[in-house]
Amino acid sequence: MGYPEGYLSERPPWTTLAGIRNALGRRAHAAGRYFAVFLLDAGGLGILWILVSYAYAWYVLHATAYMLVPWWLFAVGVVEGAALWGSFGLSLGQRLLGRELGPAEGREASARVRVRYFLLWHAFVLPGIGFLFDPPLHERLSGLRLRPRRIEGTAPAPWYRTSSGLFVAALLVVTCAAAVGVTISWPALARLFRQAGETADFWRALVSPDTSILLDAGRDMIVTIFMAVLATLFAVVVAVPLSFLAARNLMTGPVGRPVYTILRGAMSIIRSIEPIIWAIIFLVWVTALRSAFAGVLALWVHSIADLVKLYAERLEAIDQGPIEAITATGAGRLSVLRYAIIPQIVNPYISFTLYRWDINIRMATVVGLVGGGGIGQRLINYIWGVQYRQAGTVMILIVILVWAIDYLSARLREKFA
Amino acid sequence: MNGGSAAVGSASAGRGVALSRRALSFALDWMTWGYVAYCVMYLLNYYWYTVHVDWWGTLTLPTWGWPVVILATLELAVGCRSFGRSLGQRAIGAEFQDREGGRITIGRRLTRILLWHISVPLFAIGFWRGEDPWHDRVVGVSLRPISPDPERPGRRALATQWGILALFLGALTLWVGWLIIGINFQVLIRRAPQAGRIWGEMLRPDFRYFTTPDPVFSLRSQSYSILDLAVVTVFMALMATILGAAIAFPLSFFGARNVMGFSPVGWAVYGIVRGFFNVFRSIETIIWGSIFAVWVGYGTTLAGILALTVHTIAALGKLYSEQVEGVSPGPLEAVWAVGGSRVQVVRHAVIPQVLPSFWAFTLYRWDINVRMSTVIALVGGGGIGDMLFYYKNQGDWPKVGAVVIVIVAIVWAMDYISGWLRERIA
Amino acid sequence: MVCLPMANPYLVVEHLTKVYERGQVLALRDLSFTVDKGEFLVVIGLSGSGKSTLLRCINRLIEPTKGKIWLDGGEVTRLSQARMRRVRRKIGMIFQQFNLVDRSTAIANVLTGRLGYLPGWRALLGWFPEEDREKALASLERVGLRDKAYVRVDQLSGGQRQRVGIARALMQEPELLLADEPVSALDPATSHSIMQYLEQMNKEDGVTVIASLHFLSLARRYGTRIIALKDGQLVFDGSPQAIDNVKFKEIYGEDAEEVEVR
Repeated sequence: MGYPEGYLSERPPWTTLAGIRNALGRRAHAAGRYFAVFLLDAGGLGILWILVSYAYAWYVLHATAYMLVPWWLFAVGVVEGAALWGSFGLSLGQRLLGRELGPAEGREASARVRVRYFLLWHAFVLPGIGFLFDPPLHERLSGLRLRPRRIEGTAPAPWYRTSSGLFVAALLVVTCAAAVGVTISWPALARLFRQAGETADFWRALVSPDTSILLDAGRDMIVTIFMAVLATLFAVVVAVPLSFLAARNLMTGPVGRPVYTILRGAMSIIRSIEPIIWAIIFLVWVTALRSAFAGVLALWVHSIADLVKLYAERLEAIDQGPIEAITATGAGRLSVLRYAIIPQIVNPYISFTLYRWDINIRMATVVGLVGGGGIGQRLINYIWGVQYRQAGTVMILIVILVWAIDYLSARLREKFA
Repeated sequence: MNGGSAAVGSASAGRGVALSRRALSFALDWMTWGYVAYCVMYLLNYYWYTVHVDWWGTLTLPTWGWPVVILATLELAVGCRSFGRSLGQRAIGAEFQDREGGRITIGRRLTRILLWHISVPLFAIGFWRGEDPWHDRVVGVSLRPISPDPERPGRRALATQWGILALFLGALTLWVGWLIIGINFQVLIRRAPQAGRIWGEMLRPDFRYFTTPDPVFSLRSQSYSILDLAVVTVFMALMATILGAAIAFPLSFFGARNVMGFSPVGWAVYGIVRGFFNVFRSIETIIWGSIFAVWVGYGTTLAGILALTVHTIAALGKLYSEQVEGVSPGPLEAVWAVGGSRVQVVRHAVIPQVLPSFWAFTLYRWDINVRMSTVIALVGGGGIGDMLFYYKNQGDWPKVGAVVIVIVAIVWAMDYISGWLRERIA
Repeated sequence: MVCLPMANPYLVVEHLTKVYERGQVLALRDLSFTVDKGEFLVVIGLSGSGKSTLLRCINRLIEPTKGKIWLDGGEVTRLSQARMRRVRRKIGMIFQQFNLVDRSTAIANVLTGRLGYLPGWRALLGWFPEEDREKALASLERVGLRDKAYVRVDQLSGGQRQRVGIARALMQEPELLLADEPVSALDPATSHSIMQYLEQMNKEDGVTVIASLHFLSLARRYGTRIIALKDGQLVFDGSPQAIDNVKFKEIYGEDAEEVEVR
């Protein structure tokens, strides 16, 4: 816009706090750019090396190994590899972050300049001292910088002619080789086909229901439904207040932001532990081999974490207009919450809750497998008790239940869309 | 409530609602009272049996009880429907209104209940003649979509019949659920010290065997470290996702109406494929795991991979074919117009449109598979779960803590990577 | 203290400056002007010239970076948040995007205008006094929407929504009304009807109005005085008649053509 320099203050920028902050920010930004590229390059090369070693060790040495060389050699190799890759080609990190190494005025860099840059990289980028200057020292001395990638009108090179394309291809091949080697055990695969005939009885049993257990199974199904309902209800009670503390736009300031960060982090951790594992923990807690209560607690904990995330994301997307309008009438913070925010979120919250209830029905059958009660418990007992007819009956019931709830929750959610 | 009732309102303004919706709302009302009856019986059973066990024993319904319960719930449903807005009527957004727009007196409502008993058993045919059944026509009322009066405030939900009933049902559910589940906070509190000790041990994780194999833990006479099994777990998810996506991709075109719906054979294939997706999807991965563990051997990673793969095929297949059905028809017509075959249509008009969302769904599925592969070992599917359940059974909580932390790290990292990739694709 | 003009004006803005984003964007640059009681002041300027920021600085929805604002003899910029709320009760505001709660009824939206007067616990429970409800209906009556009182706002047209917004402001019994581009989301015919409500409030209730407008023709028709902003600076301050073609080009740039709103 062309405002006069130092419009707000007549002091030179390095004597003001804002000026210092800006200067530091620019340096940190430049350092971050180089660091991100280096991290991606070195990380990629490191993963490739580890996978190659792993596959080699598995197939040739018949052992498990991640690095066939001493760790320092590995580290040096990865760092030097990343430096070479970044200096002389369009490396993976540069490509992913949309940058390339080139002179400011747009010509391709010559090999000589690139060699000089490679040496300067070791002197200034690796120890990080180059970034004390603005622009960074190695950029000034080599004339090259990580500029945004320019894509001219020429056709892009095919993947097998680019270094990053070849790298990704190699990574994929080695990963698949290692994965196949480690996970597919040949005797098991042989059994899959050899025993296919023998499992015919098993399949036949699964689809010939035993109606005599219907009443008992129905009773367990009711338990499963109630588990899901109660876990969802209790989770809503906790998750609704927490969601306000986990919404980025509501939690500002020196107290709010840490609360937001901690809460979101904790919820993320809880969410990544499957309900089954939670069920095991709670079963130990209530000292029981089977307990629907432990199952409910497991579903409850996982639902809270999931709902807080869904709710908070919705809160972060609310329309700011009503908040502004209600603040402008002289209303307090609680009134703003009650009249500007809550009306906007009621329906989405109900919709998310129904969705979670749907998931909880499925999960309730699963936590039953470890002793969380309900229909899942019955199923696993039948399977391990080699009562395949009864197991098949229960499975059919589960399919019907899951279908029905799926349909019901989808229809109800349409109304609250 | 808005969309559905508005559409009905405009289509049949001033006319009664369709018979099917009428039947639906009636069924809802009846089911409501049936549920109340179930809960009441459960509570009677629970408290009489446990408290006065010597007096009464268990409370079971005599043979005449069932017809009584059925008829009583029916009566309650009809009564609720005649007086005010019942839950079922609210669900379809309709209420009884006077044909001329006047008030409906209590006498008329009672008459309606009485007439209903004659009409429904004797004159059921009355439903199909005219827009209202006989008993409604005699009383002069009609079930019509609720039209909010812009001049008057609507009553608060909790001051209406359906609101009170909904609240009552909620409370009843909570009460009965509490008893069915056997919620017992005393146990939680009494056991809190022990649980606290376990948590404390888990939060001081033992990473001794992170890279060096644990000699105590062995699978088929071979020791593993946590890292070994973590890698195996990720590979399991990878294999299952790749295999599942590769199989679901071609299948999804057979499960798409706009690709298959041109001939009876096509429709049949469509129905079979979709049915397969739906049935196999509703059986959880872990249940598949228990089946395959029986088949190919307990504790083999192959069982886990197959379980994950089967569920992946069904889940991805459904998502994929919905995408295929959602493609814009323009490019399809263009390829048909130049004389392309069905395969060419799919290749040149459908696949380019659906590929981005296919990638997104596959990555999303990859997330789920990583989560599931961490616990599939429970039923004999292999992976890091083997270690988790082994240490848990040994009561070796510091090691359980270490494994759980590794699981969280894996899930987090894979979540992050797939989220990042999805963003780049979208 | 800078010496105030003799007439003791209602609103005084002095050296008002607002900077966004770590000194990168200057929204308002050293703005000074006064407004007398009962005036209909129109703020014109291109989008991005700082009109919205100026209005929001007056009721401190946005905190000014520098400068002072006096309202009715009191310094607004120095008040605590709690005191500011009491001042905001007397400042009505209407918005370009109406800023109504779409899922609530018209009367529920209008009633929120009384929130500043209600004790906190009553506001939370939604227990508005009966006279507030009557007043809300009267406000809706005044903007011709009595028959839509219990209709949800998302079923109303744009003009009707803005009238609900005006009714909400009326509930505050404001002394000052801030109107942030009240008609730029509406068609010309509706625009005039909305502006006439503002004019009516100004003339009959003696409410001081500060409205930002896009169109010069509307500003000329309704304003008693016009100020113009360009890049956050005051470039014109005077009567509507004083804006000639030269001034117009100065405010809106060389390429601009005046458009008449009928």
